[in-house]
Amino acid sequence: MSDLDKAIAQLRSCRPIPEDQVRELCHRARELLIEEGNVVTVTAPVTICGDIHGQFHDLMELFRVGGDVPDTNYLFMGDFVDRGFYSLESFLLLLCLKVRYPDRMTLIRGNHESRQITTVYGFYDECLRKYGSANVWRYCCDVFDYLALGAIVLGASSTLSPGMPEDDDTEIEVCDQAGSIISRFPRQRANQSASQEKLEAPNKSTADKTGPPGSGASGSSSGSVGNPTGAILCVHGGLSPLVDTVDKIRLIDRKQEVPHEGAMCDLLWSDPDEIDGWGLSPRGAGFLFGADIVKVFNHRNDLSLIARAHQLVMEGFKEMFDASIVTVWSAPNYCYRCGNVAAVLELTEDESGTGIFQRTNGDVGRSSGAVIESRGGPKNGPARRYRVFQAAPQDSRGMPAKKPVADYFL
Amino acid sequence: MSAPSIPNLLSLRGRGGGRGRSRGRGQGPGGGSGSGPESRGKAHDATIQGTDTDAAVSRLSAVDMGYLSDPYARYFVSNLGGPPARRFPIINRGTYTRTAAIDHLVHSFLSEATEGAQGQAVATKQIVSLGAGTDTRPFRLFSQQQQGRPNLVYHEIDFSVTSAKKLKTVEGVPSLASILSNRSTGETSDWSSKPPNGEYYCHGLDIRQLSPASTKTLPGLRTDIPTLILSECCLCYLSREESDGVLEYFTSRIPNAAVVIYEPVHLGDPFSDTMVSNLAARNIHMPNLERRRNEADEAARLKRIGFETTRQLTIDRIWSKWVNAEEKERVDRLEGLDEVEEWQLLAGHYMVIWSFRGDGFEEWSAID
Repeated sequence: MSDLDKAIAQLRSCRPIPEDQVRELCHRARELLIEEGNVVTVTAPVTICGDIHGQFHDLMELFRVGGDVPDTNYLFMGDFVDRGFYSLESFLLLLCLKVRYPDRMTLIRGNHESRQITTVYGFYDECLRKYGSANVWRYCCDVFDYLALGAIVLGASSTLSPGMPEDDDTEIEVCDQAGSIISRFPRQRANQSASQEKLEAPNKSTADKTGPPGSGASGSSSGSVGNPTGAILCVHGGLSPLVDTVDKIRLIDRKQEVPHEGAMCDLLWSDPDEIDGWGLSPRGAGFLFGADIVKVFNHRNDLSLIARAHQLVMEGFKEMFDASIVTVWSAPNYCYRCGNVAAVLELTEDESGTGIFQRTNGDVGRSSGAVIESRGGPKNGPARRYRVFQAAPQDSRGMPAKKPVADYFL
Repeated sequence: MSAPSIPNLLSLRGRGGGRGRSRGRGQGPGGGSGSGPESRGKAHDATIQGTDTDAAVSRLSAVDMGYLSDPYARYFVSNLGGPPARRFPIINRGTYTRTAAIDHLVHSFLSEATEGAQGQAVATKQIVSLGAGTDTRPFRLFSQQQQGRPNLVYHEIDFSVTSAKKLKTVEGVPSLASILSNRSTGETSDWSSKPPNGEYYCHGLDIRQLSPASTKTLPGLRTDIPTLILSECCLCYLSREESDGVLEYFTSRIPNAAVVIYEPVHLGDPFSDTMVSNLAARNIHMPNLERRRNEADEAARLKRIGFETTRQLTIDRIWSKWVNAEEKERVDRLEGLDEVEEWQLLAGHYMVIWSFRGDGFEEWSAID
C-alpha cells in the first residue's frame, strides 16, 4: 500500500512511474474493474467530471476546486487521455486513486479510451516517447477495456443545503473556482409548473398530473422539498437507439475495444442535439438524439437527469431539454487553444432517510435495475452545484510545465 | 510551425530546426531599414518566415493523409529530423479547406479565357502571390495548364532568403525543374522561368517595400491583364498601413485586379483572445488580429483601396457550402473527426475574403 501511496505522490508531481509499476497498477485496477457492472451504482454526494484529455495541471486544479480524494467522492465520465501533453500522468493518477480508494473514485469509459483513437490523438505517441516502447500503452488499453460504460447516481438531494431543506429553494448554483457564488436559480414552484401545464394542456393526451412520458421536465417540482430525486445516469456520450432501458446497458459484453457501431459505441459517441428523434452524427460514430428521446428514456428509467461529457462547451457545462440532460466539460482552455472554462457538477446527499441505497463496486449481474421503486410521476431533479474553473496557471505548482504550443494555420 | 505534430514533445525535441529557427537570418534587402515603427525587428521577420515551414509541414501532412493531392509538397519539407510530422485531423481538415477554397477561386479566375472587356480574347492572366514561401501552387498550375486555359503570368514575392531557397529546391528536384523550365537567375535572389504556357517570376524582396509611392518595379509584372493577388496568411503580419500600401501598389497600377485574402480573425471571444496570446508566446504578432473583426469595415477598407465588390466567408462556412457531399464523405472517411466543436471554433476564426474590380472576374459573380 505504501508503494501505491508513493506512486500517487510521484504522479501528483507529474512524474511518470516506472514501467513495472504501471504493469502492476494496471493489473490491480483490472481486478477491481472486472467486478464492476457495466453500470456502476454511486451514492451521492458525488462530484461528476467530464473530459480531462491529459491536461494534468488542470486536473490538479480540478482537485483543488472540487476537493481532494478521498475527501470528495468523484465520478469521471471518461476521455482521460489524448490531446493534452500529460495523458499518461493524468490517467495513471486517476487509476492509482481508483485502486487506493475504490469507493471514492468512479471511472467510466470515454470514446478516447480506445486503441484506435489513442493512436491518432496522442496517447500512444506519448507512451512511446516517455517509455521508449508501447508496453505501457498496451497495459493502459487493457484497463480501458474493463472500464464501466456508465454509472447511476442514487440518493441525490433536491436541495443544496443538507439539514435545512425548507430554507433552500435553490435548484442550480454556479460557483467560481474560489467558491464564490456566481449565480443561483431557484426551483420552479408547483404553481409555476401548474401554469405551464395549463398552457401545454391542449397538446397533452391526458391532463393527469403525472403526465404522459416525456412531459416530466425535471426542473419542475411536483413533490415537496426534501424528497429523494430520481436517479442520474452518467455516460460519456449519450443514448443509443439500441438501448431503451438502463438494464440493456447491463447486458452488453463490454470487455473489448470500443466497436465502430452498436450500443456500446453509441453510449460513448452520441450527442444530444436540437432535433426530433435520432440523427446522423457528424463524428462518424454514434448518433444525435433529440429532446423527445431523452424525455422518454428518463421517464421509462425513472431518471431525473442524464449527465454526460464528450462535447466542448465554452461555459463548462450546458443543460439542455428542460434540464433533462447536462454536458459537463472539465478541460479548461481545451487543447491550450479554445479559451473555454471548465466545470464539475456536485450533487449533494439526500438526508431524508428515504431513497438511500447501498453501493458497492461489486454489482455483478445485477438485473433488477438500480432504481427499485417506481412512483409514477416525474421525479424531483437533483439540486446541482456547478463549480466553474479556469486553466491552471503555468509553472504554478513546481511541476514540470511545458509551454504548450497550440496549432494554428499560419 | 507549431505544433503538436502528433507526438507533441517528440516533434519539439527531436526535430532540431523544425520551427524556422534554422532559417532565422533571413532578411530581405532593405527589409526593415528605415521602415520605422512597423518593423518589430529582424527576429519577428525570422519568426514570420518560420511560419512558412509550419504551413509546409501542415500541407505535407494533409497530402500524406490523402486530403490533398499535391505531388510537390514533400520537396519543401526537410526530412532531416525523421519522418514528416503528422497533424491532428482538425488541422488537416483546415489545410484541406483553405487550399480547396483558394483553388476554387483561382480556377474560376483562370477558367474565363475567352471573354474580354471589348469582346476580344483575353489570352493571358496574372497571379501575384504575396509571401508565397514554399507554396506549391505554381507547380500545380503550370503542370496542369490545359488547353482553353489562358496563359499564366505567375509572380511570387517573399523575403530574399526564401526565394533563394525556393530556387535551390527547384534546381535540385528534376520534377520541379522540368515544370519551371528555362530559368534565368540574376545576381540578386530574383529568378524567373519561362514554362511553355506562361511566365514565372520569383521576387526576393520584403513586400513592405511596395506602396503606391514606391518606385520599386517588379520585373515581368503586367498592368494590362486581369490580375489576382493572393495573400495566404501574409498581409496579416503587417500593420494596417503597410498592408493597405501593398495592395494599393497593385491597384494603383492595374485596372482589372482582385485580391484573395486568407487569415485569422478576431471575433471578440475567448478563443480569439487565446489565439492572440498563444501566437504572442511564439513571437507572432498580427496587427489585424488585435481588433474585433467587423465585416462592413473590411469591405469599406478594400473599397477604399480600390476594389469594388467584396465577399467573405469563414473556413467553417466554406467547408459547409463549397465542399460537395461526395467530397465531404471522402474527407470524413480519411481520419474521422472527433473534434467537431473544436473544428467549428477554429475554422470559424479563419476567413477567406475575395474582392475585385474591373474585367476578368466574371466567374466569381456566381460564387458566394
